[in-house]
Amino acid sequence: MFEVAGLTGLPEAASERAEELFQQHRRQIFRQTDQLFAKLMLFQWVACIIIAILVSPRTWDGASSQIHIHVWSAIFIGGAISLFPVWMTRVWPGAVATRYVIAVAQMLMSALLIALTGGRIETHFHVFGSLVVLSFYRDWRVLVPATIVVALDHFLRGIYLPYSVYGVLSASPWRSVEHAGWVIFENIFLVISCFRSIHEMRFIANRTAALEASDQRSRQLFDDAPIGMAVVALGNEKFKQVNARFTEMVGYSDAELMTRTPFDITHPDDLAESQRLVKAMLRGTERCSVEKRYLRSDGGILWAARTACIIRDKDGKPRDFLIMVEDITERKHAEEALRGAKKEADRANQAKSEFLSRMSHELRTPLNAILGFGQLLERQNPTSQQRGRVEHIMSAGRHLLNLINEVLDLSRIEAGHLQLSVEPVAVAEVLNEALDLMRPLAAERSMDLTVTTEFTENLWILADRQRLKQVLLNLLTNAVKYAPVGGRVAVSVIQPEARKTQVVVSDSGAGIATEKLARLFTPFDRLDVEDSGVEGTGLGLALCQRLMHAMGGDIGVDSAVGKGSAFWIELPAADSPLAGLPKSRTVGAGDVSAATGGTILYIEDNLSNLTLVEQMLAEQSNIHLLTAMQGGLGLDLARQHLPDLILLDLHLPDIGGHEVLARLRSEKLTRDIPIVVISADATKGQIQRLMAAGVRAYLTKPLDIGEFFRVIDEAMGSRDRQLEKAVA
Amino acid sequence: MSTRKNILITALLGATWMVALAFGARVLFKYETTPGSVGPISAAWPSVSMIRRQTDKPTLLMLAHPRCPCTRASIGELAEIMAHSVGKVNAFVLFVKPPGADVTWDDTDLRRSAADIPGVTVLSDENGVEAARFGAETSGHTLVFDRNGTLVFSGGITASRGHAGPNAGENAILAAVKQEPIQYSRTPVFGCSLTKCKSATEGKLCSK
Repeated sequence: MFEVAGLTGLPEAASERAEELFQQHRRQIFRQTDQLFAKLMLFQWVACIIIAILVSPRTWDGASSQIHIHVWSAIFIGGAISLFPVWMTRVWPGAVATRYVIAVAQMLMSALLIALTGGRIETHFHVFGSLVVLSFYRDWRVLVPATIVVALDHFLRGIYLPYSVYGVLSASPWRSVEHAGWVIFENIFLVISCFRSIHEMRFIANRTAALEASDQRSRQLFDDAPIGMAVVALGNEKFKQVNARFTEMVGYSDAELMTRTPFDITHPDDLAESQRLVKAMLRGTERCSVEKRYLRSDGGILWAARTACIIRDKDGKPRDFLIMVEDITERKHAEEALRGAKKEADRANQAKSEFLSRMSHELRTPLNAILGFGQLLERQNPTSQQRGRVEHIMSAGRHLLNLINEVLDLSRIEAGHLQLSVEPVAVAEVLNEALDLMRPLAAERSMDLTVTTEFTENLWILADRQRLKQVLLNLLTNAVKYAPVGGRVAVSVIQPEARKTQVVVSDSGAGIATEKLARLFTPFDRLDVEDSGVEGTGLGLALCQRLMHAMGGDIGVDSAVGKGSAFWIELPAADSPLAGLPKSRTVGAGDVSAATGGTILYIEDNLSNLTLVEQMLAEQSNIHLLTAMQGGLGLDLARQHLPDLILLDLHLPDIGGHEVLARLRSEKLTRDIPIVVISADATKGQIQRLMAAGVRAYLTKPLDIGEFFRVIDEAMGSRDRQLEKAVA
Repeated sequence: MSTRKNILITALLGATWMVALAFGARVLFKYETTPGSVGPISAAWPSVSMIRRQTDKPTLLMLAHPRCPCTRASIGELAEIMAHSVGKVNAFVLFVKPPGADVTWDDTDLRRSAADIPGVTVLSDENGVEAARFGAETSGHTLVFDRNGTLVFSGGITASRGHAGPNAGENAILAAVKQEPIQYSRTPVFGCSLTKCKSATEGKLCSK
């Protein structure tokens, strides 16, 4: 019942190993006990001789004596008893026969000792002691021959010479049973002890087999890991164990690494950081990761992602480090190559931008002459044949100019140089302007250009007004161009979400095949309509997409062949800047002071912003407001009226705000007029540049009314003081 | 050495071992169980004996060789008997002194052990005269006479040569002392010979 215990729950391989370990352990015990008995036998032999010499050295016959037979018995019988089992332990160590011979010999030795000591009762304990020592074999079978020897001795003596054993001349057979019974009584406990020992040995074997299997798995995981792994001793910091992948990575053999520390193969530039991390781990950080360089044996450098953690002993004390290393050399090289490539691309892009800028200038100059003289020719009453030729020149020139502008816009966006003024824009206003511009072309092609949604004046979106108009014009132009003559183009405005507004331009054109939709926003890809006779550069939609993204919006299309297309743009909704503005105000702390009056010129393309400022200044009777929605017109008004103050927007449709500012500052008449810039661009660099260029103040949209009046008052007051000074 | 050869040698050695052990055991067994000789025993206390027998209680007389190791067991058994018979028996141990023996002949641990037993009188038997009178030829021979001087027991008080432990002689003496029926009035005597050598100075071994 003991021997089967502890075998359950182990896999077959582990069970076999457990059995092997068990048998191995048994063999080891058998051999060790054999050796013990070999020494014990020799010791007992010597002890027998000494006892015989001491107790009965000589036997007497009157006055004569001779060596006692006990001495000879100790020498010869004791020798015979001992030497053969000793020989057996040498020739057959661990064998069953050896154990049995030893068992018999040991009990015979007991009998000899009892004889030599004159049957002293104390010597009989040798029998019981011998049985206990025999149980060291943990083999209960060994007790059998030993017990048989004792039993036979008593049995035979009891039969043939009871007087010598029991001290009576005729003994009952039960005396033999009684004597043997005590031996058997001891044997019972010794047999139980043997079974328990075997049970424990099996348990240990099973545990050892399970541990070996677990250790084997761990070892296999360690050895076969696709990453480098190493165990480093905490004491001398040298490698204790490394796997094949690690040796492969660093190029050192196992033996070479065992004499080194990780620091010995660490790149000098990474040494300090590695040592710092080790100290951090010793202070309590369980795990740390770092990207570092190892020096390979061939002198090369291994870039590695190294993770280290502490291995603790059963008491929780740090014992070793476990290092896991992943080779990231290729990744590092790739990153380096990528950085180089990006740098090269940036340089190329810069070169491209410079090239385009130069080409723009170089192309625009002759185009100016072509289109200029073309217009002059149109005014000189050409013949119908000449008019046709002039129209060709003008058409080609405008196409070329459009192409240059789009290429430049695209280039600016990709270079990140596009400047946008994202502010609240009234959808209706921009859309109406675009529709007004498109109506002649639509009428020319007998097309129906309709607005299907009744959008309100209060629908505002966040966008750059000029760029939004550019996008809408592009979409409308495409719709009109690609729809058949007499077709239909519809515009609708919807709000798919509370804070989103979509403008949808639908046409009754041929539609776009699904497989071509992915190429729709690719520059210069006209989706195979080059031969359709419709003019185009293939840049319009690409530019629209980039502009919409730059403004924080999106663009898309729903199209099906034969059913037309619906292009949509989506932008964040905005609150009206006019909302909350009082219709009638009294002069207060924020108003222009009574002493301050004069003319203000506001150059702004956004009608809403113009309206806002108009309403803000409406009740200022001493202020005369002039407005211009283009840079060129603004310059003319400034020259003609010499206003006391110019409010200037930077994003203007014809001449940019920066250019207007430069021209005002360069002309003698307008040089001293205070200029306040009103822009949605609130970047610090922009403000600093313009203040350095001579603007009086810089107001950002949305306007703070109090700040607006304070700045106007201050700027116009300054102007008055300058004039007074000039008159004086 | 090949395994087969080993097995053969082992078998031969094993057989020899068993034979040798059997032979040795037989020799030893025979030696231990062969009783010594007993001379003519007088049925009554010899009147010529120099030992003064008291009539108030039985008299126990052991004749012993002072240097016989086997007699150590007999002295041990005598101590047992005396322990159970305090005041009930007069006991004498006579250590035989052969002719020519010096004064140290019987100054042995055996004599001292006998002298240490309460109620036992130790005497020297010069030239083995008393041993001859009582017919004792083997060391450890013990005789018990009742109050009247009649021999009630004669024999050894060990189970075998030099073997301590219960024995028939001891049981008989204890019964005699208590005046109970005796099962065995004669038992074999195991010990060294007392009388075969005429002189301790002759320097030659005696033979039985």
